[in-house]
Amino acid sequence: MKDVFGIVAKRLGLGLVTLLIVSIIIFGAVEMLPGDLAQAVLGQSATPETVEAMRKELGLDRPAPVRYLDWLKGAVTGDFGTSLANKRPVAEQIGPRFANTLFLAAYAAVIAVPLSIGLGIMAALYRNSVFDRVANVATLTSISSPEFFVGYILVLFLAVLNPLFPSISSLSEDMTLAQKLERTFLPALTLVLVVTAHMMRMTRAAIINLLASPYIEMARLKGVPNWRVITHHALPNAWAPVINVVALNLAYLITGVVLVEVVFVYPGIGQLLVDSVTARDFPVVQASCLIFASTFIILNLLADVGAILTNPRLRHPK
Amino acid sequence: MNYFIIGYYAMLIGASCVAAYFKNRQAFLLIFTLTLVSFVMGLIGGESVLWSVTVAAGLIAASAGIAYSFREFLIIILPKQGAKTMRTAPLTASFGLFVVIIYVIAAVFAPVIAPFGQAEVVGTSFAPPDDKMLLGADQLGRDMFSRIIYGARNTMGLSLMTTAIAYLMGCVLGMLAAVRGGWLDQFLGRLVDVIMSIPSLIFALLLLSIFGTQLYILVLVIAFIYTPYVFRLSRAVAGNIVVMDYIEAARLRGEGTWHLITREVLPNAMAPLVAEFGLRFCFVFLLVAGLSFLGLGIQPPTADWGSMVRENATLISFGEITPLIPAAAIALLTVSINFIVDWMLYLSAGLKD
Repeated sequence: MKDVFGIVAKRLGLGLVTLLIVSIIIFGAVEMLPGDLAQAVLGQSATPETVEAMRKELGLDRPAPVRYLDWLKGAVTGDFGTSLANKRPVAEQIGPRFANTLFLAAYAAVIAVPLSIGLGIMAALYRNSVFDRVANVATLTSISSPEFFVGYILVLFLAVLNPLFPSISSLSEDMTLAQKLERTFLPALTLVLVVTAHMMRMTRAAIINLLASPYIEMARLKGVPNWRVITHHALPNAWAPVINVVALNLAYLITGVVLVEVVFVYPGIGQLLVDSVTARDFPVVQASCLIFASTFIILNLLADVGAILTNPRLRHPK
Repeated sequence: MNYFIIGYYAMLIGASCVAAYFKNRQAFLLIFTLTLVSFVMGLIGGESVLWSVTVAAGLIAASAGIAYSFREFLIIILPKQGAKTMRTAPLTASFGLFVVIIYVIAAVFAPVIAPFGQAEVVGTSFAPPDDKMLLGADQLGRDMFSRIIYGARNTMGLSLMTTAIAYLMGCVLGMLAAVRGGWLDQFLGRLVDVIMSIPSLIFALLLLSIFGTQLYILVLVIAFIYTPYVFRLSRAVAGNIVVMDYIEAARLRGEGTWHLITREVLPNAMAPLVAEFGLRFCFVFLLVAGLSFLGLGIQPPTADWGSMVRENATLISFGEITPLIPAAAIALLTVSINFIVDWMLYLSAGLKD
C-alpha cells in the first residue's frame, strides 16, 4: 500500500511542476509581444508619454520575474488583476462564467459518462455485429465533425424546424434549475454527442483488449456464464482503463466547450476567452487560459491517479 | 395519414419481413429497430421526422452505391497489385477514397470549376439560389458555390502545409532524440509533455492573440502546437528501431547521425508515420476550421469553410441549410480520411500476423 502512495505523491508533484511551467508559459507568452503590453494596447499612434504612463499603471517598469511572481500569487488567491477593456477586476468577470461552464460540462458529463460506458461495453461484447458496425461508423462521423457542425444541425432540427428547445442559451440569475436545464439542453446535447463518441470508442477498445486476456478465456473455458465473466472477471480490471477514459474525455470537454459556447451564445468562460482574444484584453486571456489549462492538467492528473489506485497489481504488491 | 406515411411503414415492415424470411438476423434487427424508433419519433415529431429518416436512408444508400461502383472501377483500372488490395477494401474505405479524390480535384482546379471569384460580389446579400448561383449568395452577395470550391483549396492547402511543417519538425526532432538519446532525449521529452498539457485550441488562441492572425503566423502557431504529437509518435517508432542490430552495425561503420536518421531509421518508420499523417491532418484541419469559425483563423475575404459557417449562421434560424454546407464539407472530408486511415491501420495490422 505504501508504494501506491509513493507513486501517487510523485505523480501529484509532477503535476504541480507542470502547472507551474504552464503558468510561466502563459505569462511569458504575453511578454513576447512585439514592443510590450502598453505599446500593443495603445497602438502605433500613441505618444511616448501616454505609453510611459500606461507602463507605470500596468507596473511594466518592474522586471518580468517580479511581475510573474505577483501575478502567480494573485492567481492562486483568485485575483487576476484588472481587465484592460473595461477596467473591472478579471476575477469578477470570470467567476460566474466559470460556474456556468462547469454547469454545462457537468450536465453533459452526467449524461455522457453512463451512456458511453454502457454502449462501449455492449459494442465490445457484440463486436463485429451490426450494432457494433453501425456504432463504429456513427461514432467516427461524430468525432470527425467539428463541434459547431453538430451544434448547428441540432439547432436546425430541434430548435428551428421542430421548436422543442431554445436555440440560444442565455442564462439569468433567477432561473430555476429546471429552466436552466431546458435552456442548456442543446449545448449539452452537442457536447454529449461528441464526447460519447470518443468515450465509447475508447471504452470499447479497453474492454476488447481485456477480453483477449488469458484469464477471461480460462473463465469461459470453465463454463462461467457470459454476464458473470463481465461482472466478476472483466470489470474489476476494467475500472482502471475506464476511469482513465472518463477523465481524458472530461478534459476533452474543456476544449470542446469553447466552440459550443460560441455556437449557442452561452455565457461561459470559453465565450469570454474568444471575445478577449479578439479585443486583445490580455489579462483576461491569460486568466482564462490558465483556468482552462489547469482544469485540463488536473483532470489528466486524476486520470493517472485513478488508474494507479484502481490497478490491482499496485494495490496488492507481492 | 397520407400515402407517404403508409408507404414508409409498409416499406420498413415489408423489408423486415423479407429479412426475417431469409433468416438474416442482423439485418432484421436493424430494420425492425428502425421501425419501432420511427413509431416513437413519428408520434413526437410528426411527418417531418419520418422525411428526415427517409432522406438520411436515401443518402446512406446513395453513398454505399457510389462506394461500391467506385471500388469496382478502381479494381478494373488499377494494375494487378493495386486491384488485389482494393478487392478486400471495405465500402467505407472506397467511399473515403472517392471523397478525397473529389476534394483534391476541386482544390486543384478551383478557378476552372468555380463560376465566380472568391471575393467577387455578384448578387444581393443572402440571395436565394437561382440558375446563376447554385447555392445562393452569402451575407455580402458573393456566390456560395464558388466560395465553397475555393474554400477547399484554401482550407485544405493551409492544413496540408501546417501538417507538413509539424511533421518535418516532429520527425526530425523525434528521430534525433531517439538516435542521440541522453540529455537531449530527456529534455525534448519533458518539453513536449508540458506543451501537450495545454489544450491545443486554448494554446492556439493564446498565441494568436499575441502574434496576430496573419496567415504565416497561423501556420507556424498550429504547426508548433502539433509538433509534440508527431514528436511522440516518431520518438516511439524510432525508439523501437534504434535498438536493432543493423543500427548498431551502422554506428560501428561510423555513420553520422544524419545518415542514421535518413537512411536507416526513416525507411523503416515510414508505414506508421504515413497512417498517422492522415489523422494528424484531420486534427489540424479541424483546429483551423474551429479557429476560422471563431474569427481568428483565415481572414476574410479569403474563402474558408469555418468562417463561412460563422458568417452565414443567421440563416439557420430561418430553417435554411446553406450555412451547414461548408460545415458538412469539413465533416465529410475528416470522416473520409478517418475511413481510409482505419483501413490502412487494419491492413498494416493484418499483414503482420
